[in-house]
Amino acid sequence: MAELIINKVDKIYRSRKGDVHAVKALDLTVKPGEIVALLGSSGCGKTSTLRMIAGFEDVTNGAISLGGKAIHTLAPAARGVAMAFEAYSLYPPLTIGENMSFALKSSKLSQAEQDKRVKAMAEMLEIADILNKYPSSVSGGQQQRASLGRALVRDAGLYLLDEPMGQLEPQLRAVLRGRIKHYLREHKCTTILVTHDQTEANALADRIAVMEGGVLQQYATPAELKARPANLFTGTFIGEPPMNVFNADVKASAEQVSFVVEGGTTLSYPAAEMSDALRQRLGQTPKIALGIRPHALHLGDGPVKGKVVACQWLGDQTHVAVDVAGRTVVSVSQERVSRAPGSDVALNVAARDLHLFDPATGNAIAHGGKPA
Amino acid sequence: MTQLSITSLSKSYGSFKVFDGLNLEAKAGEIVVIFGGSGTGKTILLRLIAGVEEPSSGVIAIGGHDVSDIAPEHRGVGMAFQNFALFPHLSAAENIATPLRAAGAAEDKVKAGVAKVAKLLKIDHVLTHAPRELSNGQKQRTALARALAAEPQILLLDDPLRNVDAKLRFEMRLELPRLLRQSGATVLYVTQDYKEAMALADRIAVLAGGKFVQTASPEDIYMRPATLGVARLFGDPSINTAETVVEAEGNGVHVTLGGTKVPVAPAYKAHAGRAVTFGVRPEAVDVSGPSGLGAEVVAVTPLNERTVLLLQTPSGWEFLASLPSSAAAIPEPGAKVFARFGEAGTHIFDRQTGERLHG
Repeated sequence: MAELIINKVDKIYRSRKGDVHAVKALDLTVKPGEIVALLGSSGCGKTSTLRMIAGFEDVTNGAISLGGKAIHTLAPAARGVAMAFEAYSLYPPLTIGENMSFALKSSKLSQAEQDKRVKAMAEMLEIADILNKYPSSVSGGQQQRASLGRALVRDAGLYLLDEPMGQLEPQLRAVLRGRIKHYLREHKCTTILVTHDQTEANALADRIAVMEGGVLQQYATPAELKARPANLFTGTFIGEPPMNVFNADVKASAEQVSFVVEGGTTLSYPAAEMSDALRQRLGQTPKIALGIRPHALHLGDGPVKGKVVACQWLGDQTHVAVDVAGRTVVSVSQERVSRAPGSDVALNVAARDLHLFDPATGNAIAHGGKPA
Repeated sequence: MTQLSITSLSKSYGSFKVFDGLNLEAKAGEIVVIFGGSGTGKTILLRLIAGVEEPSSGVIAIGGHDVSDIAPEHRGVGMAFQNFALFPHLSAAENIATPLRAAGAAEDKVKAGVAKVAKLLKIDHVLTHAPRELSNGQKQRTALARALAAEPQILLLDDPLRNVDAKLRFEMRLELPRLLRQSGATVLYVTQDYKEAMALADRIAVLAGGKFVQTASPEDIYMRPATLGVARLFGDPSINTAETVVEAEGNGVHVTLGGTKVPVAPAYKAHAGRAVTFGVRPEAVDVSGPSGLGAEVVAVTPLNERTVLLLQTPSGWEFLASLPSSAAAIPEPGAKVFARFGEAGTHIFDRQTGERLHG
């Protein structure tokens, strides 16, 4: 259990074709025992960051410390970091069990204690039955679990997990997410999880660092990222299905605030539902980008009128696509609803569920009627 | 009207049996999703219908006619693949035109056909582009346009959204039903994604172990799965299970889960004494009440707009509950709760056969 501090770290890959600035002035602190996800699509800088922490890449500028000690100049093995690789990287001539206990050989643990740990870990990850098999004879999902187990049985200051659950069998995934989260908490493991999958990040992480273009976009809890996205990128990146976004003109008076959305729909709210500070700000902001999450766009009465394009029930929720003045907007209901394609529907959204962004910079102006 | 009918269809490679005695009928204009894991033979089935492979035995009929002796290009079948399979040296327009040209259509008919389908799929602005200049989404639409261009009676789509990003996959999932209906074709759609299957299908045919285990509407598949195997394939998180025995006691019927008697619908009385697998969908687990099966919250993992709880009974049975994140109170790890199981999401399966018992 140690604190990780990434201080103004840059990664620049130099080549004859020109420099690639993969990570830009990254500041990130992971508290002792905290589980943090680095989340972004490919090329966002998350893997470069991971590799710099592990020691597979040099930092171009800046410093990384773990438990108060600078580690960015140390050899990988000297950093006290345990890592599970996306490509598993199991030793082919060793059994699954030997792979998992390999990392414990250099520890001071007794053989009995090592065996006990490996067995418990294997049971948690549902691979106890394949400990005597070789990596090449088991499935990708099992290899991935073995790789994860090999990292987690160690005592390390920091656990780095690179896309640790991408290959897991869907039927196991939810239970294993729960067990792994419980394990990391019980053992107070400081953990960085690198993933492109927001479902995994949301499920496991205490805080998520959203990266794009080498830049940290936002670092916050999953709930905070949903409720208060810092900018349009985070707003539309986090959330499934993605946030609906409209360009809108603002009309603010003493009595009410209205948003005239492209296509002509007007959403009006009593002035009392917007804070004074926000109304003042909106007085000087004639154009905004208006974000509405599909879960906050409710079927029923309301000012947004359109025709149903598709109504799809998925077992535990219903997705309804509605054509509103030529644009498809999406509404999600936790209930089972049934609307025929082509039928007329109306939608509403409460002021507390509005996200307002500056269309020029993309930065958030307000969430739920209060300035961002 | 039955547009496609498959009767006793079998396919083997040497001694390896892919599937055996498949039966399926699709009505004109219907969207039938062929759903199953990898290696179940979904793609091979499409290839047999397209005519690029021959069945070992059985009959495929299109529009009432056995097509065994009809060449692929004359079967009235269009196909699109998960890897797009566009000709790299041809423009998008020429790719789309290939089936029309193969059928010997006149130049003006080719032009009109390409324009019509390109407009439908909103790719009219990239028709002159080579495949390498197209985004994955545009490639996927071009492949779809090519499959639709000759106005096939039967459209075979082999996991067409597999290689596009999550956002586009979601958009296409909402858009595809309308496009497919407009085309008028009878569609067989292969996927491994249960949400895609439920979203798109009029009916889903679940392929497992060389058979269609269940062919039914998405509602029937989800609410009334024929077997434990089907129940496990649909739902995220997937259905919780426990091996137990149905017991009758006075007027009540119960199963024992984690050492506690849990009442089930009285109609299960007919199965008293039977060894079963009890199944309950995570979204049917209610932990808000003051009584029920006692369990401790081990972990709380948010899942989109829902929250998944990993629960454990004192005897060690682990199960999941999935609550709307808007629920009044989400318990914390370590909390003690009492679980009740909603009837609509509770199923009991014979432990031997895996078949769902009727309660």
